[in-house]
Amino acid sequence: MKLGRLLLATSAVALAATAALAQDVARENTVIFDLDRTIQDPENFNWMTPGTKRMHGAHQTMWEPLFILNYGTGEVDPWLATGFESNADSTEFTISLRDGVEWSDGEAFNADDVIFTTDIALTNEDISSREASTIKAQVASVEKIDDLTVKFTLNDPNPRFIVENFGVRIFGSFLIMPEHVWAGQDPATFAFNPPIGTGPYTFTSAASNRAIWDRNDDWWGAKTGFMDLPAPARVVFVETGGEESRAQLMAANQLDAAQNVTIGTFEAIQAQNPNVIAWYADYPYAAADPCARQLEINTTVAPWDNANMRKAVANIIDRTQIVNVAYEGTTAASQTMFAQYGSMSPFIDAVVEAGYGLPARADVAAGQALIEAEGWSKDGDFYTKDGETLSVQIHVNSASTEYTRTIDVIVEQLQRAGIDARAVPVENGVFWGEVLPFGAYEMSYSWLSCGSVNEPWASMGRYTVADVVPVGERSPGFNNTARWDGPAAESYSAIMEDIAARPLGDAEIPGLVAEAYAHLDAEMPFIPLVQAAKLLPMNETYWTGWPTADNYYNHPFFWWNHTHQIIHNLEPAGN
Amino acid sequence: MTSQDHLPPTRAEKRQAKRIKRFDNPWMNPKLIWGAALLLGIIAMGIIGRFVWDPDLVFTGSSMLRLPPVGFENLRGQAGSMANPLGTDGGGRDVLALIIIGAPNTLFVGLLASLIGMSIGIFLGFSAGFLGGRTDDIIRVSADVMITIPPLLILVVFQSAFGDVSLTMMALLIAGFVWQSPTRLIRAQVLSMKQSGYVQMAQLSGASTSHIMFREMMPNLVPYLFGSFIASVTTSIVTAVGLEVLGLGPQRIPTLGRTIYEAINAGALIQNLWWWWGIPTLLLAIIFIGLLLINLGLDEVSNPRLRRLS
Repeated sequence: MKLGRLLLATSAVALAATAALAQDVARENTVIFDLDRTIQDPENFNWMTPGTKRMHGAHQTMWEPLFILNYGTGEVDPWLATGFESNADSTEFTISLRDGVEWSDGEAFNADDVIFTTDIALTNEDISSREASTIKAQVASVEKIDDLTVKFTLNDPNPRFIVENFGVRIFGSFLIMPEHVWAGQDPATFAFNPPIGTGPYTFTSAASNRAIWDRNDDWWGAKTGFMDLPAPARVVFVETGGEESRAQLMAANQLDAAQNVTIGTFEAIQAQNPNVIAWYADYPYAAADPCARQLEINTTVAPWDNANMRKAVANIIDRTQIVNVAYEGTTAASQTMFAQYGSMSPFIDAVVEAGYGLPARADVAAGQALIEAEGWSKDGDFYTKDGETLSVQIHVNSASTEYTRTIDVIVEQLQRAGIDARAVPVENGVFWGEVLPFGAYEMSYSWLSCGSVNEPWASMGRYTVADVVPVGERSPGFNNTARWDGPAAESYSAIMEDIAARPLGDAEIPGLVAEAYAHLDAEMPFIPLVQAAKLLPMNETYWTGWPTADNYYNHPFFWWNHTHQIIHNLEPAGN
Repeated sequence: MTSQDHLPPTRAEKRQAKRIKRFDNPWMNPKLIWGAALLLGIIAMGIIGRFVWDPDLVFTGSSMLRLPPVGFENLRGQAGSMANPLGTDGGGRDVLALIIIGAPNTLFVGLLASLIGMSIGIFLGFSAGFLGGRTDDIIRVSADVMITIPPLLILVVFQSAFGDVSLTMMALLIAGFVWQSPTRLIRAQVLSMKQSGYVQMAQLSGASTSHIMFREMMPNLVPYLFGSFIASVTTSIVTAVGLEVLGLGPQRIPTLGRTIYEAINAGALIQNLWWWWGIPTLLLAIIFIGLLLINLGLDEVSNPRLRRLS
């Protein structure tokens, strides 16, 4: 009980701090979201540079996307833009911007801002965010047709251009910055403080563990009739720490939406606070996440630069045990690298039919045979070669029990098979900022092939040789952090170029996917593990209208750029 | 205080005699015995446990998740079974196996760290006290400076830089922060002892410095050294557990602190999985009570005024 009190006391102190800051806005007018990481540089709002610059509320409340992909309908809903047109071969896209959009300082939002921001991404060598890298790789030029119309000309045909760059397909979108503030600044070092945006909230304050955003009652959307003002007068993002404090805050109604928790914790929260809901009303509660989990491998580090050693690890991993222990049965083993959405099944089926589907259970003997064929022999518990023990360090983001427990399971599986595996937990910000992009790991747990939700290229195209950089240099947009190179990778990249140029729905794509997948299967630059599911507790004590399977206006991942929709859908519960 | 005449001994005198007899061997005092018994019990559990219980059950996924101890039910209504008599944690690790392996590990870190720390402390303390001069200045000042530095702060930085550390590595790191107090204590004792007749006699008779330090003075310091040793074991364990509870200890080697960390991290309190955090906490309490009793017992050895009348 001592620990319990300590935790409660700590939470109480944290709450008192939050309460003191929020004293001018009543709790029932505030919506509090959970933040799963430390804000390393709370004074900096330059989203084009690395760090926690967006998911602490900035792109959920202040910066709006041009479009939002609706996961329920598959449509691209217009937001700051009203629509787009493309030419027949998908090399030119003309975007129409909404009339009447204003920055929060009263300046008009128009084509000049779009062109200015795109130009930064095209010309500045030092900015590195994934969205800016993608624009740079795809766009040849951008021109202004009139104040509300912009035309993008692409290097290569890309039928997915809008959803990929401006549609919040995964996590973020290419955010437009105000030219009148950014002009004359160095985009690589500009801090953009105080920040402004077009969204219905403006920045109030931030510290390393929280950010506060207050409603701008003069928001353009309400004035033009685009949408009503959102109901919450204040939005707070607060770092809660581990699962226990997340759960206690949720049970005590001091949090309205929490990050992922285990199913046991969710049931315990619900037992204490019946107002807490999740995506599904019943087991398994969790919403399918489009980012399937995988074991990332740095293919430049011996002995994992050897494809057979990587295949051995793939054989030793037992996906069913990961599902049972780390996810408690709430998800499924991955068959391929893809998210197992219905819209992806033609491609998944093609891969499985070609014989490259992954087994749900391990074949340890086959894995060990591969290791032994490479000249390792078992000496005691572990394999050794030339006096060196076969070992691996697996970097894991410590922000969620899901991550650490999956790696615990994998470490045990590898240990039992004779590989001296160790988990190296790292803080969320360090993991994404320093470990993954620079290849500063042997293996790690993440979801860097994430991208595809209705076509295969977005995921597969992330592993081409064009994105290979040496260890120590930042991988462009987290693409090919495995640094997978060589003849197989080159053949694979050639097929990717072919797929990229084809229109969506081309009948030959599944066959090409299977052909390309042969290289992935032979070389295993990463090992797909399990499908991801997020169990996000949402609290109906103060706010209703949360996204659920029964109220599917979009998915519930409130750290994404589409959270504008969630906030607009919230209604006071009247408590 | 002894009787002066030849009358038969009075009651008080008998008691006095009994007391003297009893303190013929001050090491046999009940506090010391109880304290040692508690700690030996933990060590014995670690040794015997490895033979009667499967140590592989400490690893993730070796049993079902969140099972309660025998005789209890968890939130899902599952009853505990003899397969996991103390229940399992959220990762399917057996709690009995966790304490069989983890409790001795925790004790091991404490003992090793303070053994190293004490050795440094004895060496430096004697050197400072006995040699004096510049040596004394340097050692005294550095010990004083080190004493003001909060060890946990530095160790957190160290451990996060190292990532996964072994138990021995952790003990070595902690040892770097437990030598200052013994150094100061021993220096003070040596300084006062240096003026005593037998030391000066030894000096006059030409005994070597090391002979005087370790053969003449050291035996008189033994109770102090033991007391200081136990105190630094306590400090070391507190530091080690502190690091483990922050998740900074060894990753795969079970320790009591790490078990508590995992419990907190996985929401064991709200799920009412009391066996997950409660049993390791109880074990830590037993270790600390054992150490406290030994410390009190050693106090009585070195300070006869503390000895109670029976």
